Amino acid sequence: MSSSDLNAPAPVLVNLQLNGEATSVAVPPHWTLLELLRYGLGQTGTKQGCDKGDCGTCTVRIDGEPQLACLTLAVDVRDRSVETIEGLGTGGEPHPLQEAFARLGAAQCGFCTPGMLMSATAYVDDLTLQDNPQVKRDDIAAALAGNLCRCTGYTKILDAVEEVAHSVLNRQRELAESTAEDE
Amino acid sequence: MTAAIKPENASQGRPYAVVGARHGKPDSLDALAGLAKYTDDIALPRMLHAKILRSPHAHARILSIDTSAAEALEGVYAVVVGEEMPTRYGVIPWTPDEQALAADKVRYVGDAVAAVAAISEDVALAACKRIVVAYEVLEPLTTPEAALANPQNKIHESNKHGNITKQVQLAFGDVDGQLAAADLVIEGHYEFHGSTHGALEPHCSLAHVDGRGLLTVWSATQVPHYLHRELAKVLEIPTHKIRVIQPAVGGGFGGKSEPFDLEFVAAKLAMKTGRPVKCLYTREEVFLAHRGRHPFDMHYRTGFTKDGKILAVDGKSVLDGGAYSSFGLVTTYYSGQLLGSPYVFGSYRFDSTRVYTNKPACGPKRGHGSVQPRFAIEVQLDKAARALKIDPIELRRRNFIGENTKTINEFHIGSNGFLECLALVETASDWKAKHAKLPRGRGLGVAGSTYISGTNYCIYPTDLPQSGVQICLDRSGRVRVFAGTSDIGQGSSTMLAVVAAEELGVHLDDVRVVAADSDLCPVDLGSYSSRVTLMAGNACLNAARDLAGKVRQAVAKKWGCEKRDVILADRRAQRLDDPGVWLDITEAFILAEIEFGTMGSTGSYQTPREDVHGEYRGGTIGASPAYSFTAHIAEVSVDEETGEVRVENIWCAHDCGRALSPVLVEGQIEGSVYMGFGETIMEHHHVMPSGLKTDGQRRDTGPGKEGLLAHSSLLDYRMPTTLDTPDLHAGIVEKPDPRGPFGAKEAGEGPLHSVVPAICNAIFDACGVRVDALPVTPAKILAGLRAQRTGGV
Amino acid sequence: MLRLSPFTLHQPKTLDEATQLLAQHAPDVRVISGGTDLLPNMKLAQTKVTHLVSAKFLEELHGIERTETHVRIGAATGLKTLAEDPDVLELLPALAYAASRIASPQIRNMGTLGGNISLDTRCRYINQSELWREALGGCLKSHGTECHVVPGGQGCVAALSADTVPSLIAYGAVVELASDKGLRRAPVSELFQQDGTWHVRIAREELLVAVEIPIPSPQTRVAYRKWAVRQSIDFPLVSVAVRLDVADGVLAGGSVVVGALGPRPRVLTLERLVGSTLDEKLAQALGQMVYDRARPLPNIPYDAEYRRERMVVEVRRAVRSLVGLPERPLTPQA
Repeated sequence: MSSSDLNAPAPVLVNLQLNGEATSVAVPPHWTLLELLRYGLGQTGTKQGCDKGDCGTCTVRIDGEPQLACLTLAVDVRDRSVETIEGLGTGGEPHPLQEAFARLGAAQCGFCTPGMLMSATAYVDDLTLQDNPQVKRDDIAAALAGNLCRCTGYTKILDAVEEVAHSVLNRQRELAESTAEDE
Repeated sequence: MTAAIKPENASQGRPYAVVGARHGKPDSLDALAGLAKYTDDIALPRMLHAKILRSPHAHARILSIDTSAAEALEGVYAVVVGEEMPTRYGVIPWTPDEQALAADKVRYVGDAVAAVAAISEDVALAACKRIVVAYEVLEPLTTPEAALANPQNKIHESNKHGNITKQVQLAFGDVDGQLAAADLVIEGHYEFHGSTHGALEPHCSLAHVDGRGLLTVWSATQVPHYLHRELAKVLEIPTHKIRVIQPAVGGGFGGKSEPFDLEFVAAKLAMKTGRPVKCLYTREEVFLAHRGRHPFDMHYRTGFTKDGKILAVDGKSVLDGGAYSSFGLVTTYYSGQLLGSPYVFGSYRFDSTRVYTNKPACGPKRGHGSVQPRFAIEVQLDKAARALKIDPIELRRRNFIGENTKTINEFHIGSNGFLECLALVETASDWKAKHAKLPRGRGLGVAGSTYISGTNYCIYPTDLPQSGVQICLDRSGRVRVFAGTSDIGQGSSTMLAVVAAEELGVHLDDVRVVAADSDLCPVDLGSYSSRVTLMAGNACLNAARDLAGKVRQAVAKKWGCEKRDVILADRRAQRLDDPGVWLDITEAFILAEIEFGTMGSTGSYQTPREDVHGEYRGGTIGASPAYSFTAHIAEVSVDEETGEVRVENIWCAHDCGRALSPVLVEGQIEGSVYMGFGETIMEHHHVMPSGLKTDGQRRDTGPGKEGLLAHSSLLDYRMPTTLDTPDLHAGIVEKPDPRGPFGAKEAGEGPLHSVVPAICNAIFDACGVRVDALPVTPAKILAGLRAQRTGGV
Repeated sequence: MLRLSPFTLHQPKTLDEATQLLAQHAPDVRVISGGTDLLPNMKLAQTKVTHLVSAKFLEELHGIERTETHVRIGAATGLKTLAEDPDVLELLPALAYAASRIASPQIRNMGTLGGNISLDTRCRYINQSELWREALGGCLKSHGTECHVVPGGQGCVAALSADTVPSLIAYGAVVELASDKGLRRAPVSELFQQDGTWHVRIAREELLVAVEIPIPSPQTRVAYRKWAVRQSIDFPLVSVAVRLDVADGVLAGGSVVVGALGPRPRVLTLERLVGSTLDEKLAQALGQMVYDRARPLPNIPYDAEYRRERMVVEVRRAVRSLVGLPERPLTPQA
């Protein structure tokens, strides 16, 4: 989108943490976060599938929680932390979920994938904060129930998240055990 | 983990280095990092945004269009209307009945009328609202029934036979005699409803004319070659002045397999303004563009001997085509032609009629034209098995058509793993212990099917190859593959890399595939009809073998041995008879380049033309180099108080010839099963019906207005979420076909077909209710249960 | 993409500031909290408004407080917070469950209780694009004069689709509303009117501050049941709450609250059944009662006749769950 929209009120300055970096950007007040990311900041990793909250494709994490960029006003992320797919990992150093998705064939067309990964990383991160975490396929399905995928039938997505969740918890346990031994 | 199911005798070792290995898609990390560029991710300097004005009428004549107020709006650069692009087009060259923008008539709510290029989408939308279109509203015909009953009210004036777009009647053998001789005739009426593709990426197109006058069009398409041809035709510029690039595509499933209004609009507006122009559909526009599954009204009679042999099949179908032909000519043939296997039919007749209606055009959704009749016949088989007291799997085995044979409509069947598919799902589902033995409310159903691996004849008449591939080797040990193929997520680029890597002895990561750019790549016809693995795979194999031969020859010269003593594998040239003698593949490539000069080759694939189809009119349509086979078993539970059906498990075994990439094949199976499940249970591309009765009189239309899409958002068009999707169990059966690369056949569409009847047959097993009119809804189940209790049918 | 028309977003820090802004701009103003209902409606130009007042920075609207007698929930409390709050789970399980069944995980992370209570009504003829509504010729809630749900109907019958409302009514919840004229309180049961174009009796000048719910006695049991085609994302097609007050092992009172009908929930009290034993007969009786007295309309996109049957089943199942019977009967019911 161009900024020369008809009768648009003047842009306002928004400061946010975008993928850990302090970002200042002037944004028209009627823009959504999705427009800001894709067309204002050129961060096109976050995709648009329906633009009205029905599909989950544009999911980003705001203060850690998966939320829909298409239904978030850009000015409402002022002073908040926004994480998108661009902050997750790179080709050279992928996040474990990206690696598992690639290896297990959990991404076909890849269009729902950035949003799916935002929900999936939130699930795995939440798990590590629990007292007695259990990896359950039903819980994974519930965590991803707001992200439509049309290619995979979800099977390989659930496989990949399940595998990574187990390995993250195992690492956490090993770390806890070795810390305990050290004490 | 949802474990994949495996045949008991699955071989442990593999004869190949790359083929058959459990790899993902090497290029998927790009999408996973959010870096893959889909069309809407591309922005060019000075780019304008286009919006399309659409018709609010289902059927109307355009009297005038006044664009002056739109043109006067600040920020508007150009407006385009239909008469500027008068040439009619259509993906099937025999039925060109579409215009980029409607000039004379609009034929469904949403038909494109005019378009604006402006500085922003906001301005373009505001300008569209200022365009004044005068319409003469005509009587809309929104059911085939109404369209057939009112032939004088032609949706397309130039059409020969009222509103019939195509009728196919073919008969093989003595159907009436065999039906008369049958011990059992199952007769039934079946309705298959409309559904749509639901790819998550909305269609998008971007066009730009460069300083040399070259028009470049980037588009979310699965058929860049057909788009290229139609752009040239409609824009009246030669193909060499057009470059078509297909960037990453966010799913297709047949929904992006022909040219659409936005591609012509973006191109024309770019030509008019001299600026890049992008046009992005809203989700509603995707639903309007449609080209999804045709609603079918079917009547089938099937005759059986008392031991379950199929003596005769007699099918009559009416296809609700929507406003345009799309692939409809082919759909009409496929509705009968693809039913001839995996079972032997003693005799066969079908009569299919496709009808224009004032609705979004139907076209090829995954399993084009053959999912609907497959539903009818597989439910018929289940009914026969019950009547004859034969196990439904056994009944299917008894009718197995076999390998290296011909169907009754004279298609040549090569390899055929259908029996293995049946055996695999039978074992994996514990069929023998469960079918007809579970407590009431729970049941299993089986069904089988077949599909093509591309068609022997191109959409337009030509003797040119169907697919071309060019391969270059470079001194770094890298292999570059150039192909016109469209990777829409299914992994066609990975498939090419596998074939090239296998032949040239490199790893998958060593192959770069450059695809779907008409300036860089040889032609491939596109990702439709499950043709790519077999056709582009063969082209790639030919090109790679040519190069591999030269590399081996150069190495053999160095070693002073025969060429046949040199093998290429695992990044090495290896002496076959002495494992201690080897060269790094990079050195081997360099040796070859020294010997032969720059290392490049081309390969192409042309379909077999001899002895592969019948010599009757239409006998070529549906004829394929090789056929895949599938069996499904579904397990359902039925809540008899609510009527709700919960599909618990679906086992699917699919004979894809050879799984070049088993992970990707499983992905195609799971995705197909998911999609078939969704359309059986919850999806419906539904248009409000016509107010016309068959006698031409108006009837009480009830609420609403005919011709409007009932479900035009991803909220109302309900695609299953993670919580709705059954456990899917994919099984690969490998019966290599000599016509496929390494024996490979298709995997992308076949595994959808028989999931629909498998679910319906399982519902019957669970509660004794037959749902012959899709989709399955709780209300239909409750009605069936009520009829049971009152002694009705 | 879908376009939002330009508007002015106000982000007040105090309740006074907020109510003054609302008074100043009414009626051309809306409160925005999660935005998950308002923004799609604005993108479809179904809601047209120039001023938005954000509830995000108003302290009084946040938090869940438990007193001896009540649970007080700020209107801007998130739906996920509500669904997982230990006090709500313990004392008001049907409300927690209702919140957990709203839309999708992302929307529960964004949406708020106040937003759900004032969720706009829904109808297949209104929740559509401008093109679609133009093609239809409008309706009572859009730019037309005709109701397509009830031919000849004079009032909009779009459906209340808020998952939390039936259980809030069953629990006897009261809302607190603020305006520049001060605070007022209203029972949720009286918050809705039979007008789908503006079905909440909340003036444009008013701000929903909090919901207060009396802590039910141990003798009160409430269950919420929702039916939608999908397990996630969907709005309710059937939405019922059942409250049973029990004394000495028999029914002493209660109510059935049905949403997803017209603009107003239907509240049926159980006086006539006082003294009934807690068994399958009671489930059947309540089912029959809603069948007779609540009728789903062909407004939201699913077969209305089936929704009527399903409503009955969901009521029965709610009763069964409250009286300790298995949810599904062992023998099929007529």
